[in-house]
Amino acid sequence: MVNGYAPISLREALELMAAHKLTPYAGGTDLMIEEKREDSFLFLHKIPELKQVSDDGEYIRFGAACTFTELLEHSLTPALLKEALSRIAAPAIRDEGTIGGNIANGSAKADSALIFFVADAQLKLAGAGGERLLPIKDFYLGRKRLDRRPDELLVEVLLPKKWLGSYYYQKIGARKALAISRLSFAGLLTIEDGKIAHCATAFGAVSDVIIRRADIDAMLIGKTPAEGKAAKAAYLAAFNEAIIPIRGRVSAEYRKTVCLNLLGDFLERFGI
Amino acid sequence: MREISEPVPKKDHAAKMDGSAVYVADWPHKDMLHGKFIRSPHARARVVEIKLPPLPAGYFAVDKNDVPGINEVHIVMDDTPVYANETVEYIGEPVLMLVGPDEDEVKRLADETQVVYEELPPVLGIRNFDTVFFDYRYDKGDVAAAFAAADQVYEEEFETGYQEQAYLETQGMIARYSDGKVAVHGSMQCPYYIHGAVAKATGLAADKVRIAQDITGGGFGGKEAYPSILACQVAVAAYKAGGRPVRVVFDRREDMEYTSKRHPSLCVYKAAVKDGRVTALDIDILYNAGAYTTLTAVVLQRGVIAASGAYNIPNLKVRGKGVKTNTAPSGAFRGFGGPQTFFAIEMMMIHIAKALGEDSLAFRLRHLARQGDTTSTSGRYHFPVPLPAMIEAVDQASDYRRKRAEYSKAQTGRFRKGIGMSLWFHGAGFTGSGERDHIKAVARLRKRPDGRVEVLASQTDMGQGIKTTLCKIVAKELSLPLERVFYENPDTDRVPDSGPTVASRSLMIVGELLRQCAIQLRERWRDGEEQTVEEHYKEPDFLLPFDLDHFQGDAYPTYSWAVAAAEVQVDSLTGVQEVLGAWGSFDAGTPIDQNILRGQMEGGFLQGLAYASMEQMEADGKGRIRNNSLSDYIIPTAMDVPVMEAQAYVEEYPDGPYGAKGAGELPTVGGAAAYLGAVEQALGGASLGRIPFGAEDALSVLRADAPKEVG
Amino acid sequence: MDDAIVFTLNGKQVRYAGSATARLLDVLREDYRLTGVKCGCREGECGACSVILDGRLANSCMVAMGRVDGGTVTTIEGYRETARFKALDEAYASVAAVQCGYCIPGMVLASECILAKNPHPSEAEIRVGISGNLCRCTGYNAIVKAIGIAAKEGEGLW
Repeated sequence: MVNGYAPISLREALELMAAHKLTPYAGGTDLMIEEKREDSFLFLHKIPELKQVSDDGEYIRFGAACTFTELLEHSLTPALLKEALSRIAAPAIRDEGTIGGNIANGSAKADSALIFFVADAQLKLAGAGGERLLPIKDFYLGRKRLDRRPDELLVEVLLPKKWLGSYYYQKIGARKALAISRLSFAGLLTIEDGKIAHCATAFGAVSDVIIRRADIDAMLIGKTPAEGKAAKAAYLAAFNEAIIPIRGRVSAEYRKTVCLNLLGDFLERFGI
Repeated sequence: MREISEPVPKKDHAAKMDGSAVYVADWPHKDMLHGKFIRSPHARARVVEIKLPPLPAGYFAVDKNDVPGINEVHIVMDDTPVYANETVEYIGEPVLMLVGPDEDEVKRLADETQVVYEELPPVLGIRNFDTVFFDYRYDKGDVAAAFAAADQVYEEEFETGYQEQAYLETQGMIARYSDGKVAVHGSMQCPYYIHGAVAKATGLAADKVRIAQDITGGGFGGKEAYPSILACQVAVAAYKAGGRPVRVVFDRREDMEYTSKRHPSLCVYKAAVKDGRVTALDIDILYNAGAYTTLTAVVLQRGVIAASGAYNIPNLKVRGKGVKTNTAPSGAFRGFGGPQTFFAIEMMMIHIAKALGEDSLAFRLRHLARQGDTTSTSGRYHFPVPLPAMIEAVDQASDYRRKRAEYSKAQTGRFRKGIGMSLWFHGAGFTGSGERDHIKAVARLRKRPDGRVEVLASQTDMGQGIKTTLCKIVAKELSLPLERVFYENPDTDRVPDSGPTVASRSLMIVGELLRQCAIQLRERWRDGEEQTVEEHYKEPDFLLPFDLDHFQGDAYPTYSWAVAAAEVQVDSLTGVQEVLGAWGSFDAGTPIDQNILRGQMEGGFLQGLAYASMEQMEADGKGRIRNNSLSDYIIPTAMDVPVMEAQAYVEEYPDGPYGAKGAGELPTVGGAAAYLGAVEQALGGASLGRIPFGAEDALSVLRADAPKEVG
Repeated sequence: MDDAIVFTLNGKQVRYAGSATARLLDVLREDYRLTGVKCGCREGECGACSVILDGRLANSCMVAMGRVDGGTVTTIEGYRETARFKALDEAYASVAAVQCGYCIPGMVLASECILAKNPHPSEAEIRVGISGNLCRCTGYNAIVKAIGIAAKEGEGLW
C-alpha cells in the first residue's frame, strides 16, 4: 500500500521497523487527530501476536494491540482495568483504541496507563536488537518522551496479578463520556494478617508523567491500620511535597487539592 | 388534547434518516473553487500590508477592494465589514480570502500569505469597555421613593459566560455569479436577511440576488446573522471568480472560535424590600457585544425587558448597555438575551428570600405577575399567567418541596445534594413593533392542478420541525391528507418574505398566516386549476403600542411560560457535579405536534442546564478563545442528564394557530437558576452568582468553608 | 508498497489505490461519494462520521485507510438497505427523534451496534452506546426511546 505497511506477523513488523522510518499505528485515535502526516504508518491490527491475552500465573499478559473493547469483553481482564477502560471516551474510540497506543502515546492522561502504573506493570519491547522488559515507570522519561528506540515496538504489557483485588479508582472528567481525564487516581491496598501488606498509588493527568511514588507508599507497608493512621499525616505530607501539578484545563491548585482529597479518601476506605 | 397535536412522522425525517439529505458540504465540489480565509491573529491592529505568495493560474485573493457594492454587511446596523477595512477588531476577523480549485493548494497559499500588522491596544473584558454601542433605559413607578422607604436594600452582581451554539453542522456557503446574477446557497436560518445583505455588498438589484437554503444541521440562533457575513464574503469571491462556484465550509475550530455566541453578561441588581416584599429594582446590565454590533441591539432589548423576570415589581429602573470588546461579535442564541437576565433575577429573588428567612419558592410565588398586571414596560399581561399551576406540576414530578426541605439539613457526607427551581417566560415573537414595522410577513399557498398544495414561505427547517407543523396546519384547514401538502427549502426566487426563522415567531405568526391562506383557498377552491392565495401580517388589535425609545407598552403580544426543577449532587472531594434529575413544565400554547414540541422542550432544556454547568468558554488575556473544539468546549452527551422530564402545559393564545405560541426558545431560557439554586443548596447554602459553575468553582466554595485537611 | 488497499464497502469489494495514511472519512466522502458519513469535528469527539468497521462502531475521521485493508466497512448508505434499518427508521420516526439530522447517520449505526451486541438493552446501556455521538437538538431522550422501541418492535431482527 502507499505510505503504509500492514504486516501479518510480529517478525515482519520488526523487519519493517528496522528498515524504514515508520510510525506505528495501533488504534489511530490519537495519531489521527493531527492533520499532518510525515511518516508512513505501520499498521498493527493484523498481527496475531499483538492481540493475545494470557495468564502465566504471575502476570496477565496483554498483547499491545488489544483494543479497549476487546479487553472489556475479556474474562482475564481484572475489574480495576475494566473500570478504567469503561471510562475512556466512548464506544467508537474504545473499539479502535489500544492499550499499546494508550501507553506509547506518552500522555500522563492515558487512563489504561494509570492502572499499569499503579500495578507496577512490565512492558515488553521488541526491536532489531531483540526483546527487553522494563517497568512501565522507566518507559516514561518525561513529557511525551519515551524509552523506545525508533526500531522498537511495544508488544506486550505484563500486569502483575497479586494485589489487584482490592482497589480504589477515580477519574475526574468534564462530563460522563467523551471525557479526557482532568485528573485520575488509582490505589491498591491489601491488608493481610492485620497488616498493610501492599499499598500502591498512582496519579494521572496531574504532571507530565503519571506519578507513582512507591517510596512514599512504602511508609505504610508492614504497618497495622492503627499504625497506618498514625503515619497518615506524614504520608499525606510526603505526597503533598511530591505532587507538583501542571495547569491545563483545570488549575494546578485544583489538581493538588483533589489528589490529596482522593488520597485521604482512599486510606479512609480501608480504615486508615 | 386537540386533534392537531397528534404526532405525525416529520416531513424531513426520511432523507435525514437514511443519509440522503444533502447539506452544504455534501454538494459535489469537484468543479468548485475553495475559499480559505486569512484571519487576523491580533485582537486589534492596523493592516499595514498584504504580501501574497506567487499565485498559480486559477488562484486569486479577495479582499475589501473586491467588494463591488458597499463593504458592509447589512444586519441591524451595518458596521460589520465584509472584509476587514484599515483595522482588524478581533482575533479571527477575515482580512482576505484565497480562492482556487485545489483545496490543499489553497491552504498552502494561505499559510504562505503574510499580512503585516501594526498592533493596537485591544479592549478586553466586559468591565474594561470604552465604547458603548447601545444604551437603553426605562423606568416604571418611583424607584427613588421605594428605596427611600425600604426596610432593607440588597445589592448583588451576576455574571454569565459565553455559550456556543455547537450545532453539529458547521457553517458553510456556496455562491456562483453568472449572467449578472449571484446565487448563494448554504446553511442558514434567514434567507431574506442574507438576500438584503448580499444585494448591498454586491451592489446588485434585488432580483439579481438569489438565496436558497440547503438542509441545515442545527442553528439555535448561530445561523441567524452570521450566514449574512459569510454569504457576502463568498458572494464577493464568486463575483470575482467569473462563473465558477466558490465554496467555503468551516472546520470545527474555525466555527467555534470565530462565529457568534451568546453574549457574556454582567448585571448589578439592587432591590428595595418593604414589609417582606420587593418594592423596587434598580438594575444595571452589561452585554459584551464583541467587536461589531451585529444583533446586539435586539438581543439586549430582550434582556432588559426580561430583567424583572416573571414578577410584578411596581418600581423599576433598568439600564442596559451593549459594550464593545475586541472579541468575535456575540450574537443570537436561543433565548436571545433572556437567559442572562432571567438567571440574574431568579438568583436575586432566591438570595433575598434567604436573607429574609423565607422559603425561596413561596417568596417568588408571592411576587408573581398575574393576568392584567402591568409588565416591566408598563404593557399588560393580557392572558392568564399559568405559573402557579405549572409550579405544582413540577413539584409533583420532581418532589421538589420535600427534597428542598430534606437537603436543607446539614450534609456531611462525600456526596451532597440540592434541588432548585426557576420560573420564567419568553416573549413570543419579535420585540415591540418589529413584526409590524420591519418584517411585514407575507405567506402564500399554491395549489397545483393535481390538487397538491405547496407552502410558499421563507421559514427554514433546521431540525425544529417547521416544515411539518406548517404543512399540518394547512392540511387540517383544507381537510387534505398531509402527503398532499408540501414545503420545499426556501429559495428567494420562489417564496415571499415571510420573515426570518427566529424569535419563536414562525409557528405563531407564519403558521397563522398560512392558516388564513388555507381558509381562503378552501373557500375559493376549484378542482383542476392552479391557484395561489396570499396573506399579510396584521397586528392584533389588543396591543398597547410599544415605544422603543422609552421601552413603554406591550413588548410582546403574549408570553410562553416555564418552570424547571433541577436536582444536583456535588462530590465534596472533587467538586464534580452531577444532575440527578431535571423536570420542566413548558407552556407554548397548543402543541401543533406533540412529538415536535417534546423535542424542542427536551433539547432546549438540556442546553439551558449545560449553560449553567459544563459549557465553559472564555477569551484569554490576548482576546483568543481557546475552547475551540468539541473536546475543549463541553456539551452534554447522552449520559450526562439521564433523567430529564419535560411536560407541556397548555394556555392557548387566541391569535396563534389553534392556540399555539412561541415554543423554540422557551425551554433554554431559564434553567440555569434552577441548576445553580440546587448547587447552592448542596454546598450548604452558599450564595452564588456566576455561571458556568464548574467543579473547580464548587471546590473553592467547599475549601473556603472547610477546615484544612492537610497541613 | 504498490498493492492497493482492498476492503469490503457496503457489501462490495473495493480497491483503494491512494495513501494508507488518508482518513477513511475523507475517502468515503470524496472518493466514494458516501456523503451520509458526516464530518462534525475531525477529531473523534462527535460521532457524526461513525461507520461500522469490522462489526464495531468507529469514528471514520480517526481511521487511516491502511487500517481497513482486508476489513469491512458499512456506512448508512449500505445499512439503509437492511430490515434492521427499517425497524430503526420506523422507531425514530414514531418519536420524532430526528431533528437537524446531522448526527443521525452516525446515531443509527451506533444504534445498530448497541442492538447487535445486546438485543434487549436497558436505558442505561443505550445511553452508554450512543455516548460518543453528540446530538445538540434532541436532548437525547427521543433517540434513547427510539432505540428501545426498535428493540421491541424489531424483535428477532437482532
